Amino acid sequence: MLKHYILISIRSLKRHKGSFFINLIGLSTGMACALIIYLWVNDEMRFDKFHQKDSQLYQVMEVSRENNINIVHEATQGLLADAMVKDLPEIESAVSVMNLESQGLYFTVKIPGKTLKATGIFAGKGFFNMFSFRLKRGNANQVLADRNNIVISEALARNLFGTEDVIGKTMEWEVAGIIKKQVQIAGVFEPAPSNSSMKFDFVLTHDLLISEIWTNGQHWWNEGPQTYLVLKNGTDVNRFNAKIKDYVKKYHKETPFALFTRHYSDAYLYGNYENGVQSGGRIAYVKLFSLVALFILLIACINFMNLSTAKASSRAKEVGIKKSVGSSRRALIFQFLSEAVFMSLLSLVVACVLVVLFLPVFNTITGKEIKLIADPGLIILLIGSTLVTGVLSGSYPAFYLSGFNPVSVLKGKLKNSIGELLIRKGLVVFQFIISLVLIVAVLVIQMQMEFVQKKNLGYEKDNVIQFDKEGSAAQNTGTFLEQIKKIPGVVNASAISQSTVQNGNNNTTYGIEWPRKTANDLVNFVVRNVDYDMIETLGLKVKEGRSFSRQFGADSTKLMFNETAIKVMGLKNPIGTKVVMWGKEMEIAGIVKDFHIASMYEPIAPLVFRYDPSRTTLIMARIQAGEEKETLSRMAEFYKKYNPGYPFDFKFLDAAYQAQYISEQRVSALSKYFAGLAILISCLGLFGLATFNAEARTKEIGIRKVLGASVSNIIIMLSRDFFKLLLISVAVAFPLAWWAMNNWLDGFAYKIHIGATVFILAFLLILLIAIITVSFQALKAAMANPVASLRTE
Amino acid sequence: MIELKHITKWVNSGGNRFFLLRDINLTVKEGEFISIMGPSGSGKSTLLNVIGMLDEFNEGEYNFIGQPVHQLKEKQRSQLYKTHIGFVFQAYHLIDELTVYENIETPLLYQNVKASERQAMVSDILDRFNIVGKKDLFPPQLSGGQQQLVGVARALVAKPKLILADEPTGNLNSKQGEEIMELFKQLNTEDGVTIIQATHSERNAAYGSKIINLLDGRIEK
Repeated sequence: MLKHYILISIRSLKRHKGSFFINLIGLSTGMACALIIYLWVNDEMRFDKFHQKDSQLYQVMEVSRENNINIVHEATQGLLADAMVKDLPEIESAVSVMNLESQGLYFTVKIPGKTLKATGIFAGKGFFNMFSFRLKRGNANQVLADRNNIVISEALARNLFGTEDVIGKTMEWEVAGIIKKQVQIAGVFEPAPSNSSMKFDFVLTHDLLISEIWTNGQHWWNEGPQTYLVLKNGTDVNRFNAKIKDYVKKYHKETPFALFTRHYSDAYLYGNYENGVQSGGRIAYVKLFSLVALFILLIACINFMNLSTAKASSRAKEVGIKKSVGSSRRALIFQFLSEAVFMSLLSLVVACVLVVLFLPVFNTITGKEIKLIADPGLIILLIGSTLVTGVLSGSYPAFYLSGFNPVSVLKGKLKNSIGELLIRKGLVVFQFIISLVLIVAVLVIQMQMEFVQKKNLGYEKDNVIQFDKEGSAAQNTGTFLEQIKKIPGVVNASAISQSTVQNGNNNTTYGIEWPRKTANDLVNFVVRNVDYDMIETLGLKVKEGRSFSRQFGADSTKLMFNETAIKVMGLKNPIGTKVVMWGKEMEIAGIVKDFHIASMYEPIAPLVFRYDPSRTTLIMARIQAGEEKETLSRMAEFYKKYNPGYPFDFKFLDAAYQAQYISEQRVSALSKYFAGLAILISCLGLFGLATFNAEARTKEIGIRKVLGASVSNIIIMLSRDFFKLLLISVAVAFPLAWWAMNNWLDGFAYKIHIGATVFILAFLLILLIAIITVSFQALKAAMANPVASLRTE
Repeated sequence: MIELKHITKWVNSGGNRFFLLRDINLTVKEGEFISIMGPSGSGKSTLLNVIGMLDEFNEGEYNFIGQPVHQLKEKQRSQLYKTHIGFVFQAYHLIDELTVYENIETPLLYQNVKASERQAMVSDILDRFNIVGKKDLFPPQLSGGQQQLVGVARALVAKPKLILADEPTGNLNSKQGEEIMELFKQLNTEDGVTIIQATHSERNAAYGSKIINLLDGRIEK
């Protein structure tokens, strides 16, 4: 019996190759898409969760109230970790971690004859016990015990020494002009998993940081590092949070900061705060893509059902004959269900092949290292969901076909109830809606990204390069800048404390007093220490007063603010006004026009430029447009001579700017693929329905043709229905898409306005696709000879 | 009016040529009422379809009101048959989703007749066939005889010169069949409509002015 079923299935597939391939393509792409999204979601959900102490691992966060808004920071006091572990019995251990890259500072590491750029962090003693970064060499309790110890990655050990056997060897590092010779390697760690938010090449001690590099870190009024806690098992986090709220006041009465903790591995997906309250984060994308995966799979299933029922008439005869020779309904249901399950298993195989083929591209787009590994859980899930998909998509045709009355089937009568027709139309509307929403989403994301990239930042970001100030360039910056400006093709050059493009502004201060400042005026100013010519190098516009200049001398007591800062301080005639910065009286020399320093998510913040060459860490140079290549090679040559042993490792400012939006660009690229897939699958569905429709109306088409209808009459008649469905979908999809995309755009402080163009474009696109899909079937039906369809036997 | 010369039609099936019509020569004058008789598979329907220009033939010449059909393009042919020929089918072939009125109106739509004229023409024929009271019903609500009546009305609404009827009474009981045949007779004698019908029944064939016997695609003399 089973053999007979399989034989019939295979022969019927052979006979209907077209619909077989449509089914296969639709179902397998749907499955592949869902599988890939599942893998991605799985990877996202596991981000940062590989630490053994994950369930106990918390990060201390700070909240302060500025301009009546609660702002959440990650930066905490350098003394916090040690104090908390001493004072609070709930804490098992606490560690400070400071990453200078968030301050725009980059390390250079050296051994004789070799210099490399590397990412370093400063961490408290218990770091390797708290986080599960595995040590290949060295003891987790000991590696950070001595102030001058360093723990390096396998890769760094290999790159520097050519071996991992480096314990006890010494090396040298440099950051922001601070050079530390003779640090001793105490441990080597294995590479961190790709789903770790902490990524670093070496670890230095927190002791060293606050005793020698950032001595302000010894005071309770200064913030810098992140503080991580391991809470004892069974600690009530809410109660603990209430307890530590005013903890800092114990050590620093005037502190504006309140504390709370958040689960460490939650930070990745739930990283956004709005007015001090958790408000989502990447989890939104995770949810969104999960929904997309579900929808795509659903659409694929629906299409399968649709096509199968559409093809029903061609198999009706088989059903009729079988029934009349005594087959039970149950046997028929079993036959059609097993056919559907067979189809979905076949699709699963194709889907797995597609996933394997597409994963490398997907990983490049998302910057992940996802692999399709056949672990038992996944296999069960795959097979399980395939069976469900098969049964689900096969059940309707199975019950539908097996329910035929044999006599009427054999007589060629096959009536479709209005209900069925409605369901089928509903499904098409559903698919249209999803496709339309996705098209609008892709267009809006694309336009916003373009807007962000082309937005006038208030300075000229093109043709500016930036590189770390180090070695001889750091020791004698003035001479270095003078000489580099002499290189043909270099328009201007200067030094700054942190680039104008930086994700997050960690270089900020509350320490500015101005006339008539009240106790409630808590303003966080972005600080940039600059050398002469920086304003000019960047092409910033001076609105009032003057820029820092050698002509005037004594500019170390002068400040320049941006327009926003002046507005926030409420100064009427700002030029010449005396303000106090960090306890020292300064004078406002100039005002620069507002420019964007953070990403477009943030409004422009108050900013102060301070003339202080000693605090600059980064060289920025503007080069002549059109001569980039020549100028850069001349600069590299000069750099090699002037600063031997240091790599000329520069970045273009606009590239650094683009890099801020990497996650949006990924979303943009991904949504394009998924929208494409959803449209493809919807097209298959539409095609299926068109086929069904044409088939169901064969007789009517025949009659009309005999009565004189032309081919175009018939095509219009068949397409009109779909056009109506399309209009209904538009009515639902556009408000939905408009709402959803405005929601997304709300995250940006600077954004596009969603105009009618997007919707018109989306409509035209889907219309075109629908016309192509439908008219093919309609044309086929219209061209058919009516004699064949009107034959009565 | 109709002149068929050496019409031959075949289909190829598995390397064999299977003849549906063989060397058919037939002349039909305006006002004639012709019955085509013959057993199942003898080619009656095929011949009607060829005359109705719904089907092509492989060899021979066909002139319809002086026009060489075998040389016309698809579009011209469709123009020709939709203005001059009305069809009546054994299974009525009414569109179930349309009312009686709309069914009758359909051929006029495809001939671009103006709305007001259409209304007049349809009302006229409803009147004449005594089915005004049924105009808003759907075909499944009617008896077979009534449906065929609508079928004939639809065939006649555009005032064709020729009516082709393929077993028009095949699905009807004898009383209903008789009524339809009487109607044909009346149309033929009173309105001068040319009629060609295919039928199994000797009795129905007798209504015609001339009987043609078909066997295996040939006209039997």
